[in-house]
Amino acid sequence: MIPDLSLLLPEIAIVAVVALLALVEIGLPDFSRRFGTRLNFAAVGVVALTLFRAIGRSGTAFDGMFVADPFALFFKFIFLASAAFVLWMKGREEGGAEFHLLLWSALLGMFFLVSSGNFILLFISLELMTLSLYVLASYTRRELATIEAGLKYLVLGSLASAFLLYGMSLVYASSGTLSFDDLKIAVQSQRESWLFVAGVLLILSALGFKVASVPFQVWVPDVYQGAPTPVVAFLSVASKSAGFAALLRLFLQVWGPLDSERRTLFSLLASLTLLYGNLGALVQNDLKRLLGYSSIAHAGFLLIALAAGGEDGSASLLYYLIAFAASNLTAFLVVSLLEGEEKSHDLEVYRGLSVRSPLLAAALFLSLLSLAGVPPLAGFFSKFFILLQAARSGLTGIVFLGAVNVAISLYYYLNVVRTLYLEKPGPKGQISVSFSSRVLLYGLMTMIVLVGLWQAPFLHFARAAAGSLF
Amino acid sequence: MESLIVFALPLVLLGSAFFLVFVPAERKEIFQQVTVGATSACLVGTLLLFIRFPAGAPDYQFVFHAEWVPALGISYQVGVDGIGMTLVLLLALVSTAGAFISFWIKERVKEYMIFYLVLVASLYGVFTALDLFLLYLYYEMSVIPMYPLIGIWGSQNKEYASMKLTIYITTGAVFALAGILTLYGTSGLNTFDLIQLKQALAHGTIDFQLQKWVAPFLLLGFGVIASLWPLHSWSPIGYAAAPSAVSMLHAGVLKKMGPYILIRLLFTLLPEGGPVWFPLIAGLAIVNILYAAFAAIDQKDLKFLIGFSSVSHMGYVLLGILSGNETALSGAVFLMFSHGVMAASAFALVGYVYEQTHTRMVPELGGLAKKLPFISTCFVMTALASAGVPGFSNFISELLIFVGTWNVYRWPVILAVTGILFTAVYLLRAVRKVFFGPLTREWRNLEDPSSLLARFPFALLLGSLLLFGFWPTGLLRIIQPSVALLLARG
Repeated sequence: MIPDLSLLLPEIAIVAVVALLALVEIGLPDFSRRFGTRLNFAAVGVVALTLFRAIGRSGTAFDGMFVADPFALFFKFIFLASAAFVLWMKGREEGGAEFHLLLWSALLGMFFLVSSGNFILLFISLELMTLSLYVLASYTRRELATIEAGLKYLVLGSLASAFLLYGMSLVYASSGTLSFDDLKIAVQSQRESWLFVAGVLLILSALGFKVASVPFQVWVPDVYQGAPTPVVAFLSVASKSAGFAALLRLFLQVWGPLDSERRTLFSLLASLTLLYGNLGALVQNDLKRLLGYSSIAHAGFLLIALAAGGEDGSASLLYYLIAFAASNLTAFLVVSLLEGEEKSHDLEVYRGLSVRSPLLAAALFLSLLSLAGVPPLAGFFSKFFILLQAARSGLTGIVFLGAVNVAISLYYYLNVVRTLYLEKPGPKGQISVSFSSRVLLYGLMTMIVLVGLWQAPFLHFARAAAGSLF
Repeated sequence: MESLIVFALPLVLLGSAFFLVFVPAERKEIFQQVTVGATSACLVGTLLLFIRFPAGAPDYQFVFHAEWVPALGISYQVGVDGIGMTLVLLLALVSTAGAFISFWIKERVKEYMIFYLVLVASLYGVFTALDLFLLYLYYEMSVIPMYPLIGIWGSQNKEYASMKLTIYITTGAVFALAGILTLYGTSGLNTFDLIQLKQALAHGTIDFQLQKWVAPFLLLGFGVIASLWPLHSWSPIGYAAAPSAVSMLHAGVLKKMGPYILIRLLFTLLPEGGPVWFPLIAGLAIVNILYAAFAAIDQKDLKFLIGFSSVSHMGYVLLGILSGNETALSGAVFLMFSHGVMAASAFALVGYVYEQTHTRMVPELGGLAKKLPFISTCFVMTALASAGVPGFSNFISELLIFVGTWNVYRWPVILAVTGILFTAVYLLRAVRKVFFGPLTREWRNLEDPSSLLARFPFALLLGSLLLFGFWPTGLLRIIQPSVALLLARG
């Protein structure tokens, strides 16, 4: 039987983009240097078109190896949006054909990852994504911190891959299949063996590394601090989303509704991750490092949604990802713009930013408050939604812990706000923001407010995606 | 028509704030005009609502309803009953007076006015919201503008004070949120609509044990913002650091959100489980009254003195609520109004003195009445109102609390009444030292507000205290039916 290749159209488009970009770089280096960024944006447009075409279509190809459903599509939109954003952030710097190529191959890995219907494809796509990200993390080779970041990410990431492989083999040994569909049937019919449980735990560790869950989070602050800012933005939004996509697919779809042990495990991970991230962030004085800890804390919040489980729990997780993407990308955009000006991301350079550039300060103010969960911004409703689902699932203790963590996190976010608004600026003068950056910042700020106030369309999107899992 | 006014109140202010974002920062007068214009427009709207409010109607009036997130049972629903109307009136008076007082701000006027408008808008939202989600949203939204307002334009110790205040209140709020969500998640009601909740819960559908364990979350969570002892420590220090108009709003109105939300939720959601804890919290309220009054006696800084005084007075409000008695609860709502206006007036007056003398320390001042006759007259009136002298509405409201509570708790009332003595002591001592006695050389050049416009905010506040002091029925006619309905069971 000929597989339905039209389902793979977005992936095929990306492969074509990668090939085209490589050819142009080799054959027409001058053209690539001059028009490379525009070419990339055209490519984003084309892939976006294929994604829009895929709305409403679902099915499987290659004997269930590849799954196209609204759930996968939801994530592909998030990946593409953040990739486009990263391209834009990177666009202002010189060079970068390799950067673009690696970004596209990471994107390809993510696209396949969320559409995997089989452990083999899951592993390959995860590796494609991570390998590209290793190189991207140490892309600016001249700086020592960057090399350290890349190396740390590489070593720990390889360990996670080994865990994943080992876990897969144990699951295969106990159930005799690598296909998600067969596995779903096998899980329902057989009793769980310890071999299977061990395999599942190993797989969980590997994915825990991707989403920065305790105890696999140690790499996060260093990598966030050292890696180039556009790459960190991509890591924090796209790579984290990809990890959660795999977690949702495996732990809620393939292995059926949550039993009490898995719920306890996720609750425990969520609590520890939340506390580690928020308490760690309290003492940071480098904004990128602080955002690293904060992103660990957000992983904790997302894990609460996973522990809540079910269709509504997954929908709250997806909604949170939208809000988190909008807020976090805004924060990183400001970091990158200021980094271009000051060559530093120490909190010191943010002193009195509200005087030097009211727009940048306002954008950072809004994004941090949204991350903290202040109404009426995006972060508020998404946190509310997750805690609501946790309360519905009877996780009273977690609701309480999550709520208290909102108060803790407010302290360090407000500390940055204090630096922005309360402290006097240094001797340096005004910062001018280019027209296109202005437009982007206004757009993102509108998005942060919009996702917080006009929930219906985003909620609908998230629910439709979550619904296709079950 | 009226329901549209209720709907428009916060939106007019938010819209004005949004408009100001695009005005260049040099045009100071535009910011001042827009802020005064927007708050005054809301005052006019509120007065209209107050006049049109049907006397004797216990239910929510002027309800505006729009679907918001139907999947989760969330709607944009606003309206007022007698209790809400009273607090909206308080807010309208204080925020308008505060807008005039805000003219004293000279630096970074643009940002100040924007934050001020957002703060006032969210307060209107809190007092009109009839959906639990919306209520909580506006409540949290009101906390955040306080941080820059105190942190940037405040005085002494402002960074510490603003952070402490924000973190305390937010922690209380998330505590309460955890309680609300647990209630929502386990009761299976699937709606945040307060009107529907009230109907659904009229027959006691929530399990008693659940009610009992959720109640402390709400009591303590919202107790923080009501400055319940021992969670009050953010309050005097916060007021002392805040700029005058912000102290006015905070002590006058923001603090009333705690008791207001407790009244709304305790008697509606937890009619059986809440009262279990009332005696305990009433004990804390007594500590509030006596401890804070005692602390106020020793204060040298006028703002600290009034700050502790307001902590002390919140004890009376809480006591009235916790008695669960119709008379006392009406008195508590009335006192929220009276004390709110009184506290705002006191902070405005101290602010005026500070603007002139650049000190708030009692020992450094003296004999100001000679140079500031208008301000001193107002201050004496405010002090008398605060001490519960008949003629001001504070007297009637405190009397109602004592009479109503007497049937429930005897000893606490006796202790609470002695608190009034303390109040008289610390206020009259301060008045004597600051405004009377010999005038020191350095205060020769002080100026009293001479224009009508400069006197307007003070006259507005004290005028309303006197008005409702002689015409208490004006407010009680709308408070009492709503309170009676709230307490009526099944």
